Amino acid sequence: MLKNTMKGRVAFIFEQDDFDVDQIVGVENIKIKEVDSLIKVAMRDYDPDFGSLVETGDFLIGAANFGYGHPHYPPMIAMRAMGIAGVIAESFSPGYWRGEIAMGFPQFECPGIQSLVQRWDGVEIDLTEHTITNLRTSRSLPFTPWSVGDEEMLQCGGIVQYLHHRK
Amino acid sequence: MKQTITEKILSRAGNHPNARAGDELIARPDFVIAYDFPGYTDVIFQQMKEEFALDKVDNPDRFALFIDHMVPAVTPKEEELHINTRTWGKEQGVKVYERLGIGHQVSVELGYATPGAFAVHFDGHISQLGAYGTLAIGVRRHLLEAFVKSGIQMKVPATQRVSLTGKLGKGVMARDVFHHMIRTFGPSFARFQVLQFTGPAYYALPLEERQTMACLAMFSGAVTAVSDPDDIALAYTQSRSRISLEPVTSDVDAIYAGNQELDVSNIEPIVVAPPSPANTKPLSEYKGLDLQVGYLGSCASGRIEDLQIAADILRGKKVRDGFQLHVIPTSQAVMAEASRRGLLTDLIEAGAFVSSPSCDYCFGRQGVMTDGQRAISTGTLNVKGRMGSVNSEIFIASAATVAASAIEGKIADPRDYL
Repeated sequence: MLKNTMKGRVAFIFEQDDFDVDQIVGVENIKIKEVDSLIKVAMRDYDPDFGSLVETGDFLIGAANFGYGHPHYPPMIAMRAMGIAGVIAESFSPGYWRGEIAMGFPQFECPGIQSLVQRWDGVEIDLTEHTITNLRTSRSLPFTPWSVGDEEMLQCGGIVQYLHHRK
Repeated sequence: MKQTITEKILSRAGNHPNARAGDELIARPDFVIAYDFPGYTDVIFQQMKEEFALDKVDNPDRFALFIDHMVPAVTPKEEELHINTRTWGKEQGVKVYERLGIGHQVSVELGYATPGAFAVHFDGHISQLGAYGTLAIGVRRHLLEAFVKSGIQMKVPATQRVSLTGKLGKGVMARDVFHHMIRTFGPSFARFQVLQFTGPAYYALPLEERQTMACLAMFSGAVTAVSDPDDIALAYTQSRSRISLEPVTSDVDAIYAGNQELDVSNIEPIVVAPPSPANTKPLSEYKGLDLQVGYLGSCASGRIEDLQIAADILRGKKVRDGFQLHVIPTSQAVMAEASRRGLLTDLIEAGAFVSSPSCDYCFGRQGVMTDGQRAISTGTLNVKGRMGSVNSEIFIASAATVAASAIEGKIADPRDYL
């Protein structure tokens, strides 16, 4: 079960629209299955120190149509293993969205998020009020509520648990 | 009333009368389709048994498995995967089709593109069944749901309608139209929606070309594409449809999230430059750029219309020395028909390397490139590393453009050869 509020820092902001998440580990590493090996290459092209800076509960920020292209699972497997608790973006590509919701990984569509936060700001996500607040500036924005199905799947922690839960 | 074809199909499949965009329902797929691929089908088979203690799927006739990737196998491990798939199919009474061609195309030939049906796959290019009025959605890992439950959780998508008008110029194909549409309306204009094609220029396209348009829906942000089946589509599917369903079409007063119109008359050949499917450019910007590899095939191309225009361009000419042109017909049926028409002879005599249907050239398992090489391709995707080295490049284009470029060894305009 997810808590009613999620609190964490902005660990990285991807500013590019139509961002292809495979870039997070690098296309040449997309077939790696071992999590430890994925962690070693993840975010290397964006911030080589990312691994030592990220903390459990942190978030990633995306721009418009985040996850466009032909998304694979390893990048976000690495991100979760490194502590990332969710992704907040201006908007998402549906294939990516569906894939990560099935993995039980919270995704938040929040138009305006790119100008609401800066890297390392603290943010609080209120799952009841559907708001995202920058704890440094106290400014808030609404996020698009999840569909009933998506929320159920996220609350269950992913598709396998969801299917056990569903009658 | 006032329903789109998508809403009608999900109303029936979801047992939810008069479903509207935004409604949530559990829809029972008429067809559950997959190709065997490590991490997908093998995992689903295992999860069904070990996680859910399920011995049998619900109504095996609804299921279809294709062995079209890793064909022919080049490692024992690949053949083990195929054996596992064949064994599972036999135990379940589920049909396993192999060596018939790329599953998305063979699905059409075998009647899984039944007008009015609802189909799911883990792969998004199944959207091409939409050309026949089938709502076919790629659901990624949610496909597990279709194996262990009778229905899958769906939010009824809204529909973005695109009407094509005008008349296509010589040497300009549906492939050019699709990417021109992305250039015009952007790579996310139909995000989370269904793309519905209509208009006189759409219905003037041969069925195969309509399939190409629907195949690529994901690059507009859409969850799939569909069109109301016309008499031509209904005539094709009549003897093939696997189940008896009343075909449905959108009501005249159906409600759309958006209505776009695209005049195809002045569209020029396009290329999609690396490294993103959003990067559509007029071919003229890249004309003359050196190439080493050409690929004509994939679930988005490689059908009779594509082979015909390529043969028309290459007949009596030669592929440039040192240029590797791979022509992979999409299915055995397509290949046999191309053979009957003499198209394969034309292509082979021009110097093309023609090989049997397989998905393998599209995702970098065969015909791979090394650092610094560049391809012109009718494959689905041009992201880095898709056809080999991450330091190679892929330009996406129509079959006509691939054929013309093979003659010059450079990006070439097919209109100069027709």
